[in-house]
This record gives sequence, structure tokens and C-alpha cells, in this order.
Amino acid sequence: MHSFLTDAQQARQREFREFVAREVAPAAADWDRAEKIPASAVASLASAGYLGSTLPVKFGGQGWDTVTFGLLNEAFGRASAALTDLLTVQAMVSMTVLKWGSEEQKSRWLPSLARGEIIGAFALTEPGGGSDLQALQTRFTESGDGTYRLNGQKTWISYGQPAGVFLVIGHAGALPTACLLPRESAGLSVEPITGMLGFRAAGLARITFSDVTIPAANIVGKPGAALSFIAPVGLQYGRISTACSALGLLRGCFEEATSRAAARKVGDFGMIRAMLARMGTDLHAAALLCLAACRATDDRLPEAFTKALMAKYFSSQAAVRAAADAVQIWGAAGCQEDAPVARFYRDAKILEIIEGTTQIHEELLGRTFVDAASKTAH
Amino acid sequence: MNNTDETEIRAKIRAFILSAIHLPDLTDDDNLFESGIVNSLFAVELMTFMEKAFAIEVTPDDLEIANFQTIAAAAGFVVRKRAQPTAV
Repeated sequence: MHSFLTDAQQARQREFREFVAREVAPAAADWDRAEKIPASAVASLASAGYLGSTLPVKFGGQGWDTVTFGLLNEAFGRASAALTDLLTVQAMVSMTVLKWGSEEQKSRWLPSLARGEIIGAFALTEPGGGSDLQALQTRFTESGDGTYRLNGQKTWISYGQPAGVFLVIGHAGALPTACLLPRESAGLSVEPITGMLGFRAAGLARITFSDVTIPAANIVGKPGAALSFIAPVGLQYGRISTACSALGLLRGCFEEATSRAAARKVGDFGMIRAMLARMGTDLHAAALLCLAACRATDDRLPEAFTKALMAKYFSSQAAVRAAADAVQIWGAAGCQEDAPVARFYRDAKILEIIEGTTQIHEELLGRTFVDAASKTAH
Repeated sequence: MNNTDETEIRAKIRAFILSAIHLPDLTDDDNLFESGIVNSLFAVELMTFMEKAFAIEVTPDDLEIANFQTIAAAAGFVVRKRAQPTAV
């Protein structure tokens, strides 16, 4: 993708890859086994500015464009999808607050998010359904004194364990509503989730709200706007980050599989070459889709949302295909816990589920294409 | 801001909507968010289009679906935003 990047973007890409090779790749398997990212690793990302990559400089961020953010996620995805998920959720919360937060919310939260002093978690998914946003059961109830009471439960919340602030989405009456909830709020409890197939180090948590008092000043935007305007901004960065993470994982599969095939006799087999042909072509296609989504976001184009859906939809499925083929090419060695392709295989499936399942993407994209095509059919 | 400006704004918004959705009989007062006419991403896509096409910034105070639910409402919103001294 070099020829499509500016000199500055290429320089950042080299920096990210060097950082990941030095700070992430050697430890990623250990983090996976421990089901935890150590605080020192988070601090390392924070000091490099990676947790505030897309926030403006005036809030302490790096002010990087979305293409550079995508390159950052791809570089991390090559070594650890679980750690890349930290970049995902931090951007989802940060960019939502940047767009829709009040001035008070921006000044309170953005500098500490940008510096990585706190981690943000995007609390959307519920036990009763991960993809049907209209069915959210979390409830904001007006108390009559200018506050709300929050009740409900969220689950599989990435980095919910270490999060310092939650962006919570629920309903106030019939109105989809979002709020910012500090970790120390009374009535908020966090229960770690372990034993997942993949993303084992991503600090997943179940979050319970029991009569949590929410000042009206913590509401983001206005009640009623959470699903139509507020969540889509966060989900846009979530999908781009996940798509680029999948691209990085796909690149990892390709490099591990081709080097294995080249070093052993399996590379002479036509069926193995067919796997590598598909994997390499998927890699190139995913890179182009990710770049198109990032560019459209930078250019503030309305089609950026559809492009992000396509990038996530394709890249995550391509990552699953590539991981399965990489394990196949590695054979029994690829089934050992310490094999990089074994972790890729487990993490890839998660990429196909988070930030909207493949089936939700098919529903959204299919409808978009039909809606547009029927215009020319009459 | 005059009527010609608002007419042009309506035309641009209509063209954007029709580029995405087959609604040949759409009037300026039809509610886009009723009866499943649009998908769940359309509101934010329309907002993004309006910000770019008319050089405005939609802020948290503007988050009323009434500002976006018809072509006439969206055009009126753009006119009001452009009249504000803080509009970008």
C-alpha cells in the first residue's frame, strides 16, 4: 500500500511496525495465556501517544488522520488483536465525546483519554442481544431532581475491567440515550469475563448498573439521539479499527504461511499454493477496502459509513479464512498453543463478531445496495 | 439568505437522498424516518452530507430528529445554521 500513502503516513507506518516488533510481538502470547494486558504495556502505548491518536492536539492527542489511525491498528493487529482492541475502544469513546460531548464533558474527559491516563469502554452490548440495538433493556429513569437513575446490564465489554469511564447506551422511556459514567459511580459493578475463545487479554467484563445516579450533565448529546447520531460515530471508528486489526492479522497469517510453505516441501503442492493465492489476494483487497474507508472518513464523506461496513465485513471474514488456512499449512505444529497461527485462528473469529456480526453487516449492506439499485430499476 | 438559497439547498438534499434510496414521489414534507423508509445509518449519513455540502457543523444542541426528518426541515436547519455567527 506504500504508493497510496503520503511520506508522513509511511514514516508513521514504519514507526508503528518497529514499536510493535519491540513492545508487542514478543509478549503477545504471554498476555493471551494470562488473559490480561499488563499496566506497563498500556503505559507504553500511552507514552507513545497511541491512545489519543485521533484526538486533536488541543486536547493532548496526536491529531492524526484516519488513514494513520488505520495503519496503527493494522500494525498492532499483526501481533495482538487483543491489544489492538484497546485502540478500538479508546477511539470509539474519544471520538464520540469529541463530536457529541458538551464543552464540559470534552474538557473533563478528552485530555485524560488522549494521554491514556484513563481507558474508555463502549458499553452497548447486553446479555439479551448483542446486535438488536432497538431492544436495549438498560434504562435511564428521570428522578425529578435533574438526575437519572440507571439500571441494567452490559456484557462482553472490551476493556471494561480497567476502564475509567464508560459510554453507556440505553433508553430513557422510548428515547435511545447515551451517558458518560465514571468508574467510581456508586451502584456500578464490574465482573471480569474469562475463558473466551479469543481476545483473551482484552479485559472483557460484565457491567451491572443498580440505581446508579446520573447527573443530567453526563448525558451525551440529547435523549433520543443515541442510536441515530451518537453511537454511529463511535461505531464508525470501531469498525475501521476492527477492519484494520483484521488486516494486520491477515498479514500475519500470510507471512507465517508463506514462510512455512517456502521452508518446507508443502510449498510445492498446488493445493497449498491455491490457499496462498487466495490469502495474498484477500490481503491486498482488504488493504484497499480499509484505505478507502479511512480516506472517506478523513474527507467527511457520507459514504464513509458504508465503506467502513464493507471494510470490516470483508477483512474480518478474510482473516478467518486466512487463519484457518495458515493453521492447515502449519499442520500439527499450528495446533500447538504457542504457535502464532493458533492464536490468530482463535482471535480471527472474534473479529467477525465484534462491532456488528457478519450477518448484521450483510443486512445493512444488502439493504443499502437494494435501496440504491431499485432507483434505476423503474 | 433568501428563498432561492433555500430552494437550492432543498434540491441538493433531495439529490443526495435520491442517490441512496428509491423514492421517486418524495415530497419536501415526507417524513424520512417513518415507516422504515431509511436504514439505521441514514440519519448520520444525511448529517455528514449536510455538514460537508453546506459547510456547517452539527453540534449536540442540534440533535433533534426534527431537524432532519424532512427535506424542508433539513433545508430550514441549514439556513438557520448558516445564519449563526459561529457556523463554520
